[in-house]
Amino acid sequence: MVENLVLGIGVTALAGALATVAGAAEDTESDIGSQGDPNSQVQLAPQMGYIHRIFNKAVSGEPPAYGLWCALGAGVAWAFMAINLNAILALIVGAAVAVFVQGVYATTAYLGRTASLAKFEQPVYIDILKSVTTVTMAHAFVAIFTTISMCYLMVAALGHPFPLPLLGLVWGIALGAAGSATGNPFYGKERQYQEQKFGAGVPISASGNIVRYAEAGERSSLDNGWFTSKLAGPASGLCFGLIVFFELWRTVLFEPFAGGWGAVIAGVVVILIFMVIDRFIETWARTTFGPYTEAAAAEPEEATS
Amino acid sequence: MSVKVEVSEGGVPHDRIMAIGIVGSLVAIYLTYLNVLTGTQIFSFFGGIGAVFAIWWGTDSIKTLCSYGIGTGVPSAGMISLGSGVIAMLLATKLGVAAPIGLVIIAAVLGVILGFLSDKVLNMNIPVMIRQLTELTIVGALILLGFASMATGSFAFIDMITGTTTFFGIEVATYSASLIGGSIIAVIFMLGGIAIQHPFNACLGPNESQDRTQMCAAECGFLSMIAVAVMSFAFLSVSAAMLGLLVAFIGWIYTYNEYIKLSKRDAYDWLDAKPIREPKGGA
Repeated sequence: MVENLVLGIGVTALAGALATVAGAAEDTESDIGSQGDPNSQVQLAPQMGYIHRIFNKAVSGEPPAYGLWCALGAGVAWAFMAINLNAILALIVGAAVAVFVQGVYATTAYLGRTASLAKFEQPVYIDILKSVTTVTMAHAFVAIFTTISMCYLMVAALGHPFPLPLLGLVWGIALGAAGSATGNPFYGKERQYQEQKFGAGVPISASGNIVRYAEAGERSSLDNGWFTSKLAGPASGLCFGLIVFFELWRTVLFEPFAGGWGAVIAGVVVILIFMVIDRFIETWARTTFGPYTEAAAAEPEEATS
Repeated sequence: MSVKVEVSEGGVPHDRIMAIGIVGSLVAIYLTYLNVLTGTQIFSFFGGIGAVFAIWWGTDSIKTLCSYGIGTGVPSAGMISLGSGVIAMLLATKLGVAAPIGLVIIAAVLGVILGFLSDKVLNMNIPVMIRQLTELTIVGALILLGFASMATGSFAFIDMITGTTTFFGIEVATYSASLIGGSIIAVIFMLGGIAIQHPFNACLGPNESQDRTQMCAAECGFLSMIAVAVMSFAFLSVSAAMLGLLVAFIGWIYTYNEYIKLSKRDAYDWLDAKPIREPKGGA
């Protein structure tokens, strides 16, 4: 019993660590490709007269896209395990096939979107296609491989009743959602709009006016990856890692209580605690950094200074 | 319905695409029945061809639906198509030889109900909503049946819930090693759902052209077919799975090349390692 519990906690910690890596890689990948909500500004820029050299990877929202990559990776791994291939090898083959599909989707999205903007004189830069696609594929491989390995741990070590591909789908969607919600604001609001005043938001007049030139030369999507891998990636990793860790931790520890309801109650308690923490951080951040409350009084002073 | 369907200039009318899609898909899926008649698994790849036809048709349906200003709803349209299609597909697989035909009828009924609910009850008021949701439900169901029959070699429900595993050298039939028991159907769901929405989502913009979008649809279809062919190694003989992989690969390479050519044709310029050319500064 105790040994089972210790094994369960160990697997939980390992799965949480894998998820942290997955979250960090996923967010960096989507930022390099300009997927998710920052994509709308990249798409809009040429229409407002701002020709750019940023990748435009409009596959779909990140949750469905990562739902597919991880489900596909897990599905191929499941199929190869069914014909008795070694589990680790099967996971690698699965992630490789999924990354191939991801890379192809990335190229067709860039070519399609850019060719459809011919009216606004936005050319297709095929060097972007060659240099950036491979970098997003590498990050996607890390994200997919860690996620499906985590799913395999749940099935093989914790005895999860779902088959591997279904877990891949569920956790892939969760991974995409975590990266999209946590990491993208760093790219969309901080990196694309560095020329705007901090906290100014994106007024209509600034729509599409994204940063296109770098400190030296022209900004490439790889610079965006470099920028967001500093804070946005780790923040997404922490988010997804905590989700996976708490999800497994509450199940491993509290499932024996109250006929399984113990885990449900523990989950509700964890959510409530996080709601309190979130609320506290939000109010603290707004009073410390936010211009919202003092905007009316402070604005004329700032204009003169 | 007498709604004017918007197509790009010089394009093929949507009705013709629908006719080609439904006939091509049904014929190809029925060709997998040759497996049963000849007692082999070699004809399984026809299921994938059927799914490619369905994806090709579904892309134009999504385009018609989303030309009513549903920009961010493009991926959602793919999801509802496969989500409603899976119900029709599972029900139809119980019909034996009549499964593909029965699937179209069941999916059409289901699609009309869903279309009515979203158009009239939820008051979305999009003129083509009922027709396009009906089409998309049929498309989703055909994609699932096509890929499922490609993976298992049959479109019968019993073959989708039984798989064989080798247990100490003895082959045992189990539910957990089957297409549905192993949730490979969930992977097919996502492969179809993303493939059907991606072409229009990727090519949308003022210079969207129909032949390029439709070529992208065929490319996405063959790409999904490659993935299904890889997974079919778990269910089919090695030769049948290899043949499926080969057909999918040839189809994908051809359509991908054509798509790049069409993108080059439509692009404003095709540059390699060149700086930004500002539109007002000359260019």
